[in-house]
Amino acid sequence: MSEELPAEQLLARVAHHDIDALSELYDRYVPRIYGMVARILPSRASAEEVLQELFLRLWSESAALNEQGKSVTAWLIVTAREAAVHRLRALRKKAAEAAPSNHGAETTKKVLHRQRAKSVVPTSSTEKSEVKSPGGISEAWRGHSPDGVSVACPVPIAWLPQPSEVTRIDDRLVLLCKVIDQLPKPQRQALELAVFDGLNENEIAAELGEPLGKVRTSLRAALTFVKHRRRAVCGSWAANI
Amino acid sequence: MGCQHLDELYELWLLGALSEANSRDLREHLARGCPHCLGRIREATETVYVLGLASKPDRPPARVKSELLREIARKTPTHR
Repeated sequence: MSEELPAEQLLARVAHHDIDALSELYDRYVPRIYGMVARILPSRASAEEVLQELFLRLWSESAALNEQGKSVTAWLIVTAREAAVHRLRALRKKAAEAAPSNHGAETTKKVLHRQRAKSVVPTSSTEKSEVKSPGGISEAWRGHSPDGVSVACPVPIAWLPQPSEVTRIDDRLVLLCKVIDQLPKPQRQALELAVFDGLNENEIAAELGEPLGKVRTSLRAALTFVKHRRRAVCGSWAANI
Repeated sequence: MGCQHLDELYELWLLGALSEANSRDLREHLARGCPHCLGRIREATETVYVLGLASKPDRPPARVKSELLREIARKTPTHR
């Protein structure tokens, strides 16, 4: 039985342009990444493109990630979500521009939902959402990419967890996913719209037909619950959930 | 000091779900290098990681990987 190499050892080899190591990282993490990206995006074709761009980016940014000793697993998941949400917002923007102007945002959402259901959205060309700011920190300060699509905050490498922290989370992932299932339905619904539909507070309120204040309260309560449970599950194994 | 009210915003901000006004406040605050907030933002990144994994794993077609490796080999002709 062969021992599985730690992800960070593979990352170090990728940083030295070892394509076999990249292939191993791909095989190990692609089900998680693709599961998430395919849930966010309306077509499998666009999910596949995001996946390819992600690993091409890993190939070129592996040295920096390796130098800072951050978790490659966390980088893959967080960066893949950012890229998928950015693409989703670009598709939404395109749909809004294509829709008759008097139909407004409601039509845009419907168009996108229809596209998502039918998985027929054409994929767009490569997009870049990351702009470097002084000090090498990704441009988290703008909120918009050069193509004018609002972006999820690009997470600089320095903010990513250490490999040991991610291992602790991964060891308890079944419990942590159960935590998300435990949220009251309105909170869970609002949270899923934020995480997997790339909507902000205002858009979630419009989508659910709820007052903004109520949505804000739901989102904050949901995230506080998840955060506290994560602390309990990862910090104290005896936590009773 | 004076930034505890931001504690519940980090995850939302990282998810891109925060309103622009609140995002601006947070960005301006972080730009001042607040150590409390930088610690919290690192923790928030872990929560975002957990949330991202709350989907069923799935596998793309095998051709996606072969196209990827071909593209990398094309871009890096001297690899290995």
